[in-house]
Amino acid sequence: MSDAKVTIFTGKKIITMNPAVPVAQAIAVQGDRILGVGTVEDLAQWGDYELDEQFEDYVLMPGFVEAHSHVMAGAVWEFPYVGFYDRPDPLGHTWSGCQTIAAVVDRLAECERELKDPNQTLVAWGLDPIFLDGERLVAKHLDQISATRPIFVFHASGHLATVNSAMMDRSSIDRYTPTPGVARDTDGEPNGELQEPAAMSLAQDGLSAIGVAMMSSNAKWNYAREARNCGVTTIADLGTTRLTMEGQLEAWHEATSHDDYPARVVVAVGHSDSNLNKKNSNPIVSLAVRLRDEEETAKLRFGIVKLVLDGSIQGFTARISWPHYVNPPPGHPGNGLWLIPPEQLADIVSGYHEAGLTVHCHCNGDEATQVFIDAVDLALQRHPRWDHRHTVQHSQMTTTAQYKKMASLGINANIFSNHIFHWGDQHAAVTIGEERAARMDACATAEREGVVFSVHSDAPITPMSQLHTAWSAVNRLTASGRVLGPEERISVAKALEACTLGAAHQLKLDHDIGSLEAGKLADFAVLEKDPFEVSPKELKNIAVWGTVVGGTPHVASSK
Amino acid sequence: MKLSEDLIEVSVIGGYLGAGKTTLVNHILREASERVAVMVNDFGEINIDETLIDSSNENTISLTNGCICCSLVDGFAAALESVLSLLPRPTRLVIEASGVADPSAIAAHGHSPGLALDAVVVVVDSVRLIEQIADPLIGQTVASQIRAADVIVINKIDLCDTLASVNVELSELNPNALLVYANKAKADLDLLFGREILRTASAAGHMGKFESRTHESAQPILRENLETLIENLPSNIQRVKGIVRLAEAPRIPMVFQLVGRSWELRALADRGKSPEGNRLVVIGPKGSIPIGWDNFLS
Ligand SMILES: [Zn+2]
Ligand SMILES: [Zn+2]
Repeated sequence: MSDAKVTIFTGKKIITMNPAVPVAQAIAVQGDRILGVGTVEDLAQWGDYELDEQFEDYVLMPGFVEAHSHVMAGAVWEFPYVGFYDRPDPLGHTWSGCQTIAAVVDRLAECERELKDPNQTLVAWGLDPIFLDGERLVAKHLDQISATRPIFVFHASGHLATVNSAMMDRSSIDRYTPTPGVARDTDGEPNGELQEPAAMSLAQDGLSAIGVAMMSSNAKWNYAREARNCGVTTIADLGTTRLTMEGQLEAWHEATSHDDYPARVVVAVGHSDSNLNKKNSNPIVSLAVRLRDEEETAKLRFGIVKLVLDGSIQGFTARISWPHYVNPPPGHPGNGLWLIPPEQLADIVSGYHEAGLTVHCHCNGDEATQVFIDAVDLALQRHPRWDHRHTVQHSQMTTTAQYKKMASLGINANIFSNHIFHWGDQHAAVTIGEERAARMDACATAEREGVVFSVHSDAPITPMSQLHTAWSAVNRLTASGRVLGPEERISVAKALEACTLGAAHQLKLDHDIGSLEAGKLADFAVLEKDPFEVSPKELKNIAVWGTVVGGTPHVASSK
Repeated sequence: MKLSEDLIEVSVIGGYLGAGKTTLVNHILREASERVAVMVNDFGEINIDETLIDSSNENTISLTNGCICCSLVDGFAAALESVLSLLPRPTRLVIEASGVADPSAIAAHGHSPGLALDAVVVVVDSVRLIEQIADPLIGQTVASQIRAADVIVINKIDLCDTLASVNVELSELNPNALLVYANKAKADLDLLFGREILRTASAAGHMGKFESRTHESAQPILRENLETLIENLPSNIQRVKGIVRLAEAPRIPMVFQLVGRSWELRALADRGKSPEGNRLVVIGPKGSIPIGWDNFLS
């Protein structure tokens, strides 16, 4: 044992998530690691210590691990929020939800007055017209805010934007604009709504402003602040192609090496299929290997490659098996989209698999899950390798037979439990129907079949909070308040395990994080209440003091 | 024909994995009589990649893909910007879509300022098409690509002994597309691009099966006259393109495209960059274009 100073933190209760020693009263930290857990008397055997009683009234848990989110969760806060639900920002200010068009207009008018440069575009995000009753927000509403300043409002879905007339003027969007996706009124004049990327990118400084924000240092900091505010100590930015862009790797190092940076970040490399035609040398393999072997630091980790195989269920683009979608929109081709040719997947997975990397594959639909399972199966036949921890991401429709097969192949799952709350009603009514909605995001099946799993927010798609994703997995309550698929509910203990050790396992970090025990990193979530004591329905409402990362406390911004 | 000196015409090359898209792109790079930039893949960010296309053309820009739900922000517009800033400027941008992409989603970007969409070209593997369409995993993807096509390049016909059923399948999926038959994706670029065929030009080394005629005039034309002209074209003429000014909106340059059995008239995104007046070129098999084909316009 070194002679570095020892600090013993005490808490009202310390939940270790280590089944051998599940509960403790004190935890000793030396440097950035845990020296031991137990009572203060037990820990005194390690010699001199300093007692830190600041968490005396709090419950300590292993810091939550959010294994699927995006740095964009930090970037969006460069811009004002106009979504329907209240949402706290990384600096602790809660933006009230805009529940009417008038509220959206008022919010934007207020933000407009704060902009100094009259030419600067006002960009806002989070608009979700499904929730706003009555007419749809269009340019004429935004024109009340400014006739001269361009305004760009990015919708929550990511597929639409609404702009004002000044933006249309500046971008030459008019009745003759040929681009598909420029929505029009009955007279054929564009009404300000731009659908899908081609139309959205006509609006100058709109979409591109969000792209620029994603590369900023501030986005990286806000991403970690958002994590800290909800008790998350390790976040995975699941899939970026920006690491090869100039200065981005350096920017990650710069942010995460700062003592005040309040999280560990796993940056997963996004697979890119543009390089596959090259004779058997996928440059993403060597990039990911080099990052893992040469660039890892205490708070910046690599080793994961992200693939995206299909689309989304609510967008009717997920690949789902027969009987497909219940009530797809007119003109829908019947099933979703592949983003990678299915017969190519085994070769792609094999390349990463043989290099010792872990593949996380976005599979929303069960048909996509099956193609990924088959690809891993083939990769394993070609190149047997134990403990790969390849992971089905989202895993929303994965069936019992698939979970069984995943267990036998050693595949993990990261289940998008928040979907039950946010879109569960729509899934039952419109996308996949009652029966399959009742067994989607099937945490209980994953548990029963022995698959190591986690749950995630996919922030900014849904707000980051592992207490909320756990709440969703435990209660399966939809936005309308019904319990969707009670048989797939899991216990609080299992949900908390999913948010800590389960997530750590699929990130291959469970030797370092996910439970509180001697030798692991001193990463805690500091909670005001005991999640085992509150009613399961209250799980998501437990207040978070903040976190401790590597022994350093980081108080949440609302405190 | 060139629509205008400043505009970059966009050809989107789609088709399922293995159909011969890259072979077609290489064929285009070898045979094109203009400055062609190639963009590979359909969304994400740019990196310059000189080795993907075998002719190692310095104007190849490849896009690495992003995740639709997982990254939201589209990098395609940024890639287009970089094409627009290439010097000297290309006159044609060929976008090779990924094997599972819906080429019409990519074509939607072909109307951005500075660009004019020419046609969506979908390459099909005639040997595997029937089997692919019936495949439960990829059938819908292949069919959607075919439905999105203006031009279908039916590739590998030498190896195909079921060409008749391929033709039936294609005409059911997309009765309007212009069909071009090819081996090793060596499709006729006159048809693909609607090129004006210069009578004197053996300079391009090209003694094709096609001829072209050009209409030029100064006064805005009536929409119904244009429609009459189209109705009266011989049925074996399947490619007409150009820029016209309509009497109803003479200040708006309209791009006219007839490919196969369908045609459309769309405003040009970049108003300032088009010459005044009308210019239309018709391309057809040798001897198919009647003298006075454009009488309806005068
Ligand atoms: Zn995803
Ligand atoms: Zn995601």
